Amino acid sequence: MSPKHSPLADEHAALGAKLVDFGGFEMPLSYPEGTIAEHLACRRAVAAFDVSHLGTVRVTGVAAFDLLQESLSNDLRKVAPGRAQYTHLLDDEGGVLDDIIVWWVDEDRFDVMPNASNTDRVRAAVGGDDVTAERAVVAVQGPAARETLAKVALEAAGVRRFGVVGFDYEGARCVAAGTGYTGEDGVECAVPADAAPAFWRAVLAAGAQPAGLGARDTLRLEAGLPLHGHELGPGITPLEAGLGWVIGWDKPTFRGRAALERIRSSGGPARRLVGLLTHQRRPPREGDVILRAGSAIGRVTSGNYSPVLERGIALGFVPAATAEGDEVELDLRGNPAAALVVKPPFQRLDPDTGAPRT
Amino acid sequence: MNVPDDLRYTSDHEWAATEGGRVRVGITDFAQDALGDVVFVQLPDTGTTLEKGGPLGEVESTKSVSQIYAPVSGTVVEVNTGLADAPEQVNAEPYGSGWLVVIEPSDLSQLDGLLDAAGYRAATA
Repeated sequence: MSPKHSPLADEHAALGAKLVDFGGFEMPLSYPEGTIAEHLACRRAVAAFDVSHLGTVRVTGVAAFDLLQESLSNDLRKVAPGRAQYTHLLDDEGGVLDDIIVWWVDEDRFDVMPNASNTDRVRAAVGGDDVTAERAVVAVQGPAARETLAKVALEAAGVRRFGVVGFDYEGARCVAAGTGYTGEDGVECAVPADAAPAFWRAVLAAGAQPAGLGARDTLRLEAGLPLHGHELGPGITPLEAGLGWVIGWDKPTFRGRAALERIRSSGGPARRLVGLLTHQRRPPREGDVILRAGSAIGRVTSGNYSPVLERGIALGFVPAATAEGDEVELDLRGNPAAALVVKPPFQRLDPDTGAPRT
Repeated sequence: MNVPDDLRYTSDHEWAATEGGRVRVGITDFAQDALGDVVFVQLPDTGTTLEKGGPLGEVESTKSVSQIYAPVSGTVVEVNTGLADAPEQVNAEPYGSGWLVVIEPSDLSQLDGLLDAAGYRAATA
């Protein structure tokens, strides 16, 4: 199957990006500045990411609300039109088939944003129209994201955290949401495909560093945000992943509810997702064994080098009784490395003590 | 890609420079570009005996781990300890401050079996 392309593919080529296949899309991995420079630009100022590979499944009409309430785990009654909500599509065992952001754009219009490779699966569950190919999504992220975006689209820049607003860019009708996947403040803008290259160029001209999927992954790991296929997936419940707040317990019914109720009433999950902070640079990698007193207690689900802490960091599942501050050991492909159990976001921790920086 | 004319190369993307009978080793510009940002380098201690084609160390980037192989047999006589805190030198100057080790070769003629610059350019074209 030939890869799909973002409406911004020509822009990435012109910028000299290295491209990589991701979820069937050919997307930028990094730009000539490199992953670490892109990562630090996002933490310190502002970076722009093309995330057009995320799906957009548009569910409309008077039945849309009830359909999403029954299909997805979170409770839309906690929010309202003009708000975004993080939610899960669960299987009957309570495993996470996908993690999703729902943009409640108008009373009867929901833009459901699955991970790239799960768009068909989510559309099968919630119905609606796959409008992914009609638009680009540009994520402007970082402490200077809003002042940068304000030079391009003032209304978009003013969207509140987890808010959703429509805006016009050079005559094209767009949607902005105060969402992201970096652990920084920021705005994600859905822009019609025809207008997207001009919008992207304007965001870069306003000062944003273009950043690829390499930096997107190191940023989300450093922020402690789960990635489907690693920290989430079939066989992993939101309870284990520490995301109990995405479960709408007040809803009478939704797929996966019965299984989650059984886990909750039997004392909760046996394992939990934690952060692991090492004392050296070597990056932990997915699959590396986590040990305690010489015995394996779990495995790393994602690991890398933290550009902010300049240490190896990881996420992994360990027995539920494991506490923050506990000392464990990682087997990094034959190289033992001491690690501290910590609560992410890593970038806000003291690299020596693992405690939040004051 | 930068492929200096005065070096020898392996098909695994190491370079080798002769310096008065010793051999300085690093990874090529092509290799560092393919790896992306290097964040960790594991090197042998001085005194370690290496076999031509055998493991010399590892270079890790934000996206992958890459094995480094010895271009010649011999003994490690110098190690670039500066890479412990500044592995990004491998990206910045792969043929300069990003060098990895210096080997006292057991048989300097092994270098003749490596690619020359033209051969390496052809192999990475």
